[in-house]
Amino acid sequence: MIETDGRPRILIIDDEEVVLDACAQILGTQEFDLAVARDGTTGLDRVGEFHPDLVFVDLKMPGISGFEVLEGIRARDPSIVTIVITGYATLSSAVEAMQKGAYDFLPKPFTPEEFRLVTRRGLERRRLAREAARLRAERDLLREQFASIVSHELKAPLAAVQQQLMLLAHELAGVLSEAQQERLRRLQGRIADLLALIATWLRAISSDLESLRASFRPVPIPTVVEKAVDSMRVLAERKDITLETDVPTAVPPVLGDEGTLVEALVNLVGNAIKYSPAGSRVIVSAGAREGTVSLAVRDFGVGIPPEDLPRILGGLSRAVGTAGETGAGLGLVITRRIVEVHGGTLTVASTPGTGTTVTISLPAAGPSAAEAVGGAERQKEVGVR
Amino acid sequence: MTAGKRLLIVDDDPEFVEGIRGILEGAGYAVEAAYNPADGFVALRKGRFDLLLLDILMGRGAEGVMFARKMRKDPALRDIPVLIITGIREQIAFLFPGEPLHPHLVPVDELMEKPVEPALLLEKVAALLAAAERRKASGGQKAAGA
Repeated sequence: MIETDGRPRILIIDDEEVVLDACAQILGTQEFDLAVARDGTTGLDRVGEFHPDLVFVDLKMPGISGFEVLEGIRARDPSIVTIVITGYATLSSAVEAMQKGAYDFLPKPFTPEEFRLVTRRGLERRRLAREAARLRAERDLLREQFASIVSHELKAPLAAVQQQLMLLAHELAGVLSEAQQERLRRLQGRIADLLALIATWLRAISSDLESLRASFRPVPIPTVVEKAVDSMRVLAERKDITLETDVPTAVPPVLGDEGTLVEALVNLVGNAIKYSPAGSRVIVSAGAREGTVSLAVRDFGVGIPPEDLPRILGGLSRAVGTAGETGAGLGLVITRRIVEVHGGTLTVASTPGTGTTVTISLPAAGPSAAEAVGGAERQKEVGVR
Repeated sequence: MTAGKRLLIVDDDPEFVEGIRGILEGAGYAVEAAYNPADGFVALRKGRFDLLLLDILMGRGAEGVMFARKMRKDPALRDIPVLIITGIREQIAFLFPGEPLHPHLVPVDELMEKPVEPALLLEKVAALLAAAERRKASGGQKAAGA
């Protein structure tokens, strides 16, 4: 949108010289910048050059009709306020003009007072529309920048504190009593929870998952499992939980975004660890059947009562983990969104007291995709493992 | 193995730098730090470092990403292994949609998320240094053969 210099710009498109003159006289040139056009085509050209706030359009003109002009203006900039001038002010033409996006109409002949009134109302409408657009743009900007603002203002200081605590624990390993070490561990645990919570909120608010589709590529399932399990290993070890994987090499790749797929699996593994008793196992397995690749995370934890199952996938449910872990219950919602963007489904099977299996099912990528994955694998060997 | 190895940390958060510097120095590395990309690049060019620990998201932007790209273009710096440290590993997928989680900005790098577990940090640093040694050795052989 182009900013004007404060004086409202008004364009009048009418084939009658006398109407143009009258309007110009009524408005004067003190308060407004005024432009005129004598036919629709010229009028539309003037819209592009003059960037009016308000356009009066005569419905009946030689050449293209007033309705076409309305459509043309709307196509160029829907925020421009249009008012139709009509000599045959029938209800139907007014209604049609409104449907084409006109804000108001002015029947001919009109008095200077009527014209001024309609002009004032139109300009007020324009001011409000611009204000709304500005607020919308501001909101979008805030939303876009939310990720970086939150990560730097909230997450970075916390991570620095945590780093210092880790150093302290490292340096004082042989000096502190068992009770003191435990206190330090609890401090670190609380900060780790906070960091995880911030990360989850960030993902829920800042991510535009739909946009990922444009850059989907074949993703090897073993890589997804390996990365997800790698990033959860420390957490599992802390709770004395064994993370096992069962991924046959023959599992076909899926078409998707590796980062978010890893994220989806990380969420599921994190939940499994959270609801597992110390000393138990969490099994991440993959399989393929009839063009569908499945990724399953199985735990032997507390399980979910059947009546709670629908709520779990619906979002924002929360339960306390076996070591008192809390969360905002966002992980599964995000996981479900990621899976859905990939054209897959998320299912939960659970028996209270026995454990839970959460399964991601995704469409397998075609054979041409498998070739591309071969290329990606070769490329990966350049990096250090 | 750690003796004599020189590490450079480029990160705009002094608290964080202090946190990992202590761990690395405790393990016997010689550590220097720069607190912005410009100073970091100057230090890297004259310091003969064996490894760089780089914060990828300094300030508000991804200045670390720019830093890494600049490094990649410089033949004198291209082969220095880089341990990329980021405050927002889990957001990289969202910041750079479609890019792999591990961005491979330089030929040899590894990615870690803040905060960094001391044992894991030492393990990754040692692995990167060892890999760089191996590459240097095999590169040297090739040169000798030619």
